[in-house]
Amino acid sequence: MHHQKTPSSEDKEKRPKFFINDHIDILVEILKRLDGPSLGVAACVCRLWSTLARNDSLWEHLCFRHVSSPPPSSVRPVVVALGGYKRLYRVCVRPVLSRLSDSDLVRRVWTRDEVQLSLSLFCVDYYERSGRLGGGGGGGDSSASSLMFLCNTVNV
Amino acid sequence: MKRDHRDTCTDQNGSKGEYSSSSSSVLNGKAKIWEEYQDGCGDDELLAVLGYKVRASDMAEVAEKLEQLEMVMGSAQEDGISQLSDTVHYNPSDLSGWVQSMLSEFNTVDGSAIDDPLFVAADSSSITSIHFSNSHQIENPASRVFHDDSEYDLRAIPGVAAYPQTHLDSEAESRRKRLKTSIGSNSIGSNSGVGADSGFASDPARPLVLVDSQETGVRLVHTLVACAEAVQQENLKLADALVKHVGLLAASQAGAMRKVATYFAEALARRIYRIYPQDSLDSSLHIQILQMHFYETCPYLKFAHFTANQAILEAFATASRVHVIDFGLKQGMQWPALMQALALRPGGPPTFRLTGIGPPQPDNTDALQQVGWKLAQLAETIGVEFEFRGFVANSLADLEPSMLEIRPPDVETVAVNSCFELHPLLARPGAVEKVLSSIKAMKPKIVTIVEQEANHNGPIFLDRFNEALHYYSNLFDSLEGSSGPSQDLVMSEVYLGRQICNVVACEGQDRVERHETLTQWRGRMDSAGFDLVHLGSNAFKQASMLLALFAGGDGYRVEENNGSLMLGWHTRPLIATSAWQLASSTESTR
Repeated sequence: MHHQKTPSSEDKEKRPKFFINDHIDILVEILKRLDGPSLGVAACVCRLWSTLARNDSLWEHLCFRHVSSPPPSSVRPVVVALGGYKRLYRVCVRPVLSRLSDSDLVRRVWTRDEVQLSLSLFCVDYYERSGRLGGGGGGGDSSASSLMFLCNTVNV
Repeated sequence: MKRDHRDTCTDQNGSKGEYSSSSSSVLNGKAKIWEEYQDGCGDDELLAVLGYKVRASDMAEVAEKLEQLEMVMGSAQEDGISQLSDTVHYNPSDLSGWVQSMLSEFNTVDGSAIDDPLFVAADSSSITSIHFSNSHQIENPASRVFHDDSEYDLRAIPGVAAYPQTHLDSEAESRRKRLKTSIGSNSIGSNSGVGADSGFASDPARPLVLVDSQETGVRLVHTLVACAEAVQQENLKLADALVKHVGLLAASQAGAMRKVATYFAEALARRIYRIYPQDSLDSSLHIQILQMHFYETCPYLKFAHFTANQAILEAFATASRVHVIDFGLKQGMQWPALMQALALRPGGPPTFRLTGIGPPQPDNTDALQQVGWKLAQLAETIGVEFEFRGFVANSLADLEPSMLEIRPPDVETVAVNSCFELHPLLARPGAVEKVLSSIKAMKPKIVTIVEQEANHNGPIFLDRFNEALHYYSNLFDSLEGSSGPSQDLVMSEVYLGRQICNVVACEGQDRVERHETLTQWRGRMDSAGFDLVHLGSNAFKQASMLLALFAGGDGYRVEENNGSLMLGWHTRPLIATSAWQLASSTESTR
């Protein structure tokens, strides 16, 4: 729970008019407009922001914000079952976007094909991880090997 | 490199004795030339192949000096080089003298410079300084060394394109060209034109090392081909000698060329000595592990899966029950993506039935069932009704369609998928025809076939060898750029190395890597009663995007070839995906 900032002596007379943490709906609207890295940073600000940023619908919005047409409703349960939008963004969407475009990540418009490709790769990722449950290797957060090529830097 | 020479010193002495006493009619004339050469200069013949004249007796001394030189150069990186550039060198192929002058600050006893009758004194004095910053002046000695006939015992062998001077047939040339472009980034002397005597490309900033790996690269290829020719002519003694040369030359290369040459040399050696790799039951497990690493390192398998899936998806567009028959299930990596696409199909997913076929496992574990279970879990997660059956078969030809319990076309829509599973059938006569007629009996809506795009199944060994050399050079070259754990890369290379070994060393039913080109498969499918189905632009787009994701992926190319898709490295197509349906099918054609 975020407390009011202790005002310094000079500000004692001037009461702040607006605390963002009192208006979570506005906060969410703002967070919705951030790009991936910024959202990650925002999650480190305080516990409230961290809780909000973990909300998968924010990441869903991030993934499909720039898709030309909104994805069909059947996508959500599939993505959630395969690991959620945050993971989808981290493992597939972000690397795919950064590889396929030179311009700013945020302004890029997705095509349906790129969405489809990301989802397919995401599914492959899940399948590979499921084979490792209970086996050795890293925890659920480690990227599956078959997607390592996405995480590696492009050779100049 | 020096250690190799030390080791091969004894070999060379041994082989000298062998050759001088050889009474084989084929080698008679050549043996004499060899003897004369040996006695005349007393030079190490193996170094001579590389263009250096070093007395065999001086070998240890020269090696020591080289070591010292390496230390000096290593410890004085920036300054030391500029000092050395002022040194004057004569006769650079005289390795002993050259190293000596480089080490002029050390007061070692000068090894006697070899009075080289082949180097005209007047000319040699014009080859004065070898500046480390200036590569032009190397041209003369390099080309002179190149034209120096007696150094290359390989040239003494008649009828063999071992020596590149006159035997520049267009195929060898173009192959060298391609090989040069592919190893350009790896070799020390930077890339130059096709002609062997065009010398080095000038690269002022680069310190020049006299071993021009570009030149040795060319010689390496020619030696490999010469060895294959010798094998073709059943001249095994010669082939044996050449294979050893290849090993030496390969050591001076770097990167893809070295690996390819090493694998091919090993395969040739196996063929010569008749040490065929035993195909044990364990090997199928090893192959699967290797293939997983290959899957992860480079896009070939992913391309195969994604393009085949796209064709299957389009064929399944309106079906409510679908059945895929996978001729090689392995780890089932192809199917998650298809299942996901089916799950998100507008109108909801169909019932998905998968029949997986695989080879028997050594420890009798049911690998197919395990994969089926994993896929079933995935299907449940994403909400697709799933059914699985596994079939163990030594060969696809053993399958009868009735075993698969395929339901009639009005109940389920069938797709048959074969990723690199058809070419092994060519090892047994009649097998592929039987399988194709089995496929027809399954009444599939679509048949997807992915195969290597190369003809490694010609009747003549030498042709197969040349084809394979070119194909795998390109393949290895494409691997070089891949990022990721080096273990993956090594395993991928081992995976490909097994294929190379099979193509070169095995014969008869053991030779299962009988790759054929798309044109050849097309002919087969046409005559078996199938019509080509064009892969749509969706498949092309997806494939292009997939390739763009791979680091170092600039070299990959997707090509459309009369409705089929090919993935290649630069200009060379390497694998091809095609889709087929039954001829004069009553179903609506695309």
